[in-house]
Amino acid sequence: MKKLKNLTKQSEFYVFIIIVVLSIIIQARSGLFFANNNIVDTVRSMIVPSIYALCALLSFVSTGPDVSFPLIAALSTYLALITTNALGMGESMVIVFVFAIVYGSIMGALNGIIIVKYKFPSLIVTLGTSSIFSGILLGAFEAERMDLPAGLQRMGKASLLSVKNAETGLGSTLPMTFLILVALYVITYLVLNYTMVGRGVYAVGGDEVSAERAGFNVKKIRFGVFTANGAIAAIGGVCYAVMSMRYLPTEYAGGEMIVIAAIVLGGTRMAGGVGTLKGCILGTLLLTMVSNSLILIGISVYWQKVFIGAIIIIGTAVSALQSYGASRVKSKVKEAA
Amino acid sequence: MGNILAVKGIKKSFGGVHALKGVDLTIKEGETHCLAGENGCGKSTIIKVISGFYQPDEGTIEINEKGYPVMTPSEAINAGVQVIYQDFSIFPNLTVIENLAFNQILANKKKLVNKKEFRRIAEEAVKKINFDVDLDALVETLPVADKQLIAISRALLDNAKLIIMDEPTTALTKKEVKRLFEIITDLKKNGVTILFVSHKLDEVFEISDSITILRNGENVITCPTSEMTEEKFTYYMTGRHFDTNQNKADMEKNIGETIMSVKGLSAPGFENVNFELHKGEILGVTGQLGSGRTELSLALFGLLKPTAGTITMEGKEVKIPNVSAAEKLGIALVPEDRLTEGLFLPQSIIKNITVSKMDELTSKAGILSNKKVVEESAKWVKDIGVATKNHEFPVQTLSGGNQQKVVLGRWLATNPKVLILNGPTVGVDIGAKYDIHSLLRKLASEGMAIIIVSDDIAEVIATCDRAIVMQGGRVTGQLDGSELSNDSLTSATN
Repeated sequence: MKKLKNLTKQSEFYVFIIIVVLSIIIQARSGLFFANNNIVDTVRSMIVPSIYALCALLSFVSTGPDVSFPLIAALSTYLALITTNALGMGESMVIVFVFAIVYGSIMGALNGIIIVKYKFPSLIVTLGTSSIFSGILLGAFEAERMDLPAGLQRMGKASLLSVKNAETGLGSTLPMTFLILVALYVITYLVLNYTMVGRGVYAVGGDEVSAERAGFNVKKIRFGVFTANGAIAAIGGVCYAVMSMRYLPTEYAGGEMIVIAAIVLGGTRMAGGVGTLKGCILGTLLLTMVSNSLILIGISVYWQKVFIGAIIIIGTAVSALQSYGASRVKSKVKEAA
Repeated sequence: MGNILAVKGIKKSFGGVHALKGVDLTIKEGETHCLAGENGCGKSTIIKVISGFYQPDEGTIEINEKGYPVMTPSEAINAGVQVIYQDFSIFPNLTVIENLAFNQILANKKKLVNKKEFRRIAEEAVKKINFDVDLDALVETLPVADKQLIAISRALLDNAKLIIMDEPTTALTKKEVKRLFEIITDLKKNGVTILFVSHKLDEVFEISDSITILRNGENVITCPTSEMTEEKFTYYMTGRHFDTNQNKADMEKNIGETIMSVKGLSAPGFENVNFELHKGEILGVTGQLGSGRTELSLALFGLLKPTAGTITMEGKEVKIPNVSAAEKLGIALVPEDRLTEGLFLPQSIIKNITVSKMDELTSKAGILSNKKVVEESAKWVKDIGVATKNHEFPVQTLSGGNQQKVVLGRWLATNPKVLILNGPTVGVDIGAKYDIHSLLRKLASEGMAIIIVSDDIAEVIATCDRAIVMQGGRVTGQLDGSELSNDSLTSATN
């Protein structure tokens, strides 16, 4: 009973309910939502946004918004590709990932240094760096679409699971990058919940001064978060290239808002200290469903944006109302006492 | 028994400002020692020196007769010194367990989270003070008093021998203060020494064995509490002599006709409140937190919609649906939390004072006359005695008492007929408190009707002609002039 009550307090729970209701509606109207190819397609579309969602979650919980991850993804993927091409190491997909992670970490560390050392708001800093990264990518390097080295191409063609809908004849495949997503979530889950550094991420976001007094190294934790964000963004960037089968430099920018909307919908608190991986997945799933599946019930692509906007507003309003309601209840209890 | 703490000749300056000018503080083992003084006297600085957060410029620190030439925060903790800050140093977003266990786990330099160990530490901590709380609850859902108890039990985990409590009763209700004092008494029995930092007279007398008073970064006196009297205490803290009773008697009473009358007023938080307010009268509204006193003040100012009852102003029944209607009727409210509800902290004193009467200071073309604004503000800064060098300074540079004066000045500038003050001297020094009380008496003698909403019984006695007592949303008592005493009010509010 108590568990159930706690459940209704979490915004994850409400997102889950919305997802269930929405999927039933789409299924009833089109009969295609629970088709095997649509489910695989939805999961496929979720992979990159879910990876980015980790960046958004870590930065919101510990410090504040990070909007630089799409550009870090774009630039680090590009740099990794040209480095491996130049060194002739394109055969191995692991090498590309390693290079991208290194480049991404450096860019993330740059964010981290500025935010920690000068105590600038993370939004401003990451807006600034993402503009710089974009300028370097498109201006200095004049990056253009590129074919992938052999290793990544093989990875892109391989699939974990291939399904075909018997009725419609439509097929879909689950790419290898899904494994990367799972691995990243498992690692992040373990770090956040079972290491003191992970608990420190939440502690710092809850109260910076208390964290300092308790003995957490606030600066190291924040610096670590932004560096890790750079690395995660880079992994997401390479995954995106793998799934599109080529590198498309201009396709990265602009992904941050929908990702941030997804995690806020999933219960991440914009003021810091609160946010779960479960919420990241559910929020991303909901928004992906809307953009992928509304078309199944004949709603035009343009209306999707309206829907996404409405869901974001309603979703955030619900969690805001919840906390408002909680404080109201508390003051009533006090009066009764 | 020996001295658990002996600091001598501590000096500390910040950029040329001498915060401590040679402070001595000696605390005997097992006693409850009170450190008192007005805001800015150096209380917080000396605490930070003792706990190792500041390095003193001069002076020595001895804990348990061992000298510490350079004290660091971790050394202080190892020596058994724990500070419970006003904000309690907690993590509102985490569970009680984590709040309790973090310090010890981090001190042991553990890298991984062992949930069983966390729970064991937390259980051990709450057992020390028989604190009954849901360990899995998020701390932000708990009342303030529980947050404080979390901080205390956490301090005890680290084998605290000396616990420094920085203004621990500020946000507590009376019941909660009582519980805190019981815990302090228990701790004392177990040999824990307490340094209790406060400027609240009655609490200091109730709980402490001896007192040290600081003023302007210097020692004024250290003595056993039994040798201290209230008058001396106030004098040592402020360096001024006050006679609160005389203050009231001195003022000519000039109570005139009824200006406001409230009949059967109900709103969320209180019901069926009746009273009459006369010109030149100060009416006290008192009661504990949650008694409905704040809600009543909000309803009179148009911030809370009444569900029943009438408000009559100067003979006419009126509706007060919003703040601007209240202002038009000549009602002003000085809110409870001046920092969030009453002031624009980063803005200048001038702007803060004149913001409520911008309309009057604007020409017909709608342009604000800068000259008039400055004149108006200068007048009030002088009249109400705001201590500042320059009224262009942002309000946040002022002390609590002076900020309160600015809020007061803003509303007085609108020439209200009825002035409502909610907790007018919360967090204000004795000196500034006295000034504010005198100012209110003076305003009343000039014919203003004033309602003081306060849980500070001494304040109600010192300033009010009449008081109504609220409890659980209802008026449970009315006390007139001669009946107003500490005993009568205390028994009525409890």
